[in-house]
Amino acid sequence: MSLPLLVVLGAAAAAVGSFGGIGGATLLVPVLLVFGVDPLEAAPLGLFAVAAGSLSAAARQLGEGLVHHRLGLTIELTASVGTVAGALCAARVPEVWLSRAVGIAALVGSLATLGRRTMRNLAISAFDAEATIGEWPGTLGGQYVHAGRIVPYQARRVPAGLALSSLAGVVAGLSGVGGGFLKTPAMSEVMGVPSKVAAATTTFTLGVTSATGLLVYWQQGRIVLRDAAAVIAGALLGGLVGARTQAAVDPRAARRITGALLAVVAVVVIARTL
Amino acid sequence: MSEDPVSDDVPGGAGPPADPKATRFHGLSSALEAAVALAGVLAVLALVLPGTWSRAAGIGLVVLLVVAPLLRVAWFAQRWFRRGDPRYGLVALGVLVIVAVGALLA
Repeated sequence: MSLPLLVVLGAAAAAVGSFGGIGGATLLVPVLLVFGVDPLEAAPLGLFAVAAGSLSAAARQLGEGLVHHRLGLTIELTASVGTVAGALCAARVPEVWLSRAVGIAALVGSLATLGRRTMRNLAISAFDAEATIGEWPGTLGGQYVHAGRIVPYQARRVPAGLALSSLAGVVAGLSGVGGGFLKTPAMSEVMGVPSKVAAATTTFTLGVTSATGLLVYWQQGRIVLRDAAAVIAGALLGGLVGARTQAAVDPRAARRITGALLAVVAVVVIARTL
Repeated sequence: MSEDPVSDDVPGGAGPPADPKATRFHGLSSALEAAVALAGVLAVLALVLPGTWSRAAGIGLVVLLVVAPLLRVAWFAQRWFRRGDPRYGLVALGVLVIVAVGALLA
């Protein structure tokens, strides 16, 4: 595939993924398969898009106090194990099954995007006076600002969250799709973490997940440097455009459009393997 | 924590209250912003430079994208150990160990 096309695809996937709240690789990897790229080559490119997206969002999210690092690293313990296992197994899995795995992952991502609900937590007046935003030391709880009020939260059902996170890791290692579409709902719907905190924490953890997968791919000699540079350049540019567009677009409409787009791509990827 | 009358999707209303610890991650934020800028430059260089220079920029880019999140984890590990939160310091160290083992197994 030509480098300019990779830049364009990386930028488009990151922009759409960013304003749709699913991350760039969920869309990029299936689209690369549709363009005829081998699944073993598409996976590292997907993780590069994930890594670039995570890095570019990091400073802003740190400033907003939305990332819960203790929670993120707790679920990353099992996600990283899953990523290593998935990346090690990917080379031994037939291409057609890898393509189907990507298609199914995109379909699940589409359903998660279309069906996403928001977990709600109550603002507590007594907390307003303290006005310290972020995580509570030594716990998986914290507080964030919503509509000008301090809203406390506490992660629940941690073992279930860890199990889903390991599944997201396997998907990431196997296919190169980041797995954020599994991690964010795991945190928000299963663990009861507010959706904004879950999304920001997922973005942080995806940087670690992608680093884990990319180290394995590097050792396996599966990284093509110029292709990676093209995707990263596109993803950095697209992430910037997506973040700016996000403010002007209704989040529900953006999610519906992205979810529908993902469903179409998933069906095309799966149909090509039949 | 049960129902909040307002969805998380609705942007903030009266604006956030002053956060006395707002600058606690200032150094880390600056480093991450610099890393993004460097990644952009290296990506462009890897695309436009010829042969060996392109490869060197590409390797630098890959190293940056892999190392930046791991350094962030290491930064939190030392911070939590230093501030008396060893449980999560060990969690952060555990993540780094898993990443290292994964790279060795590959």
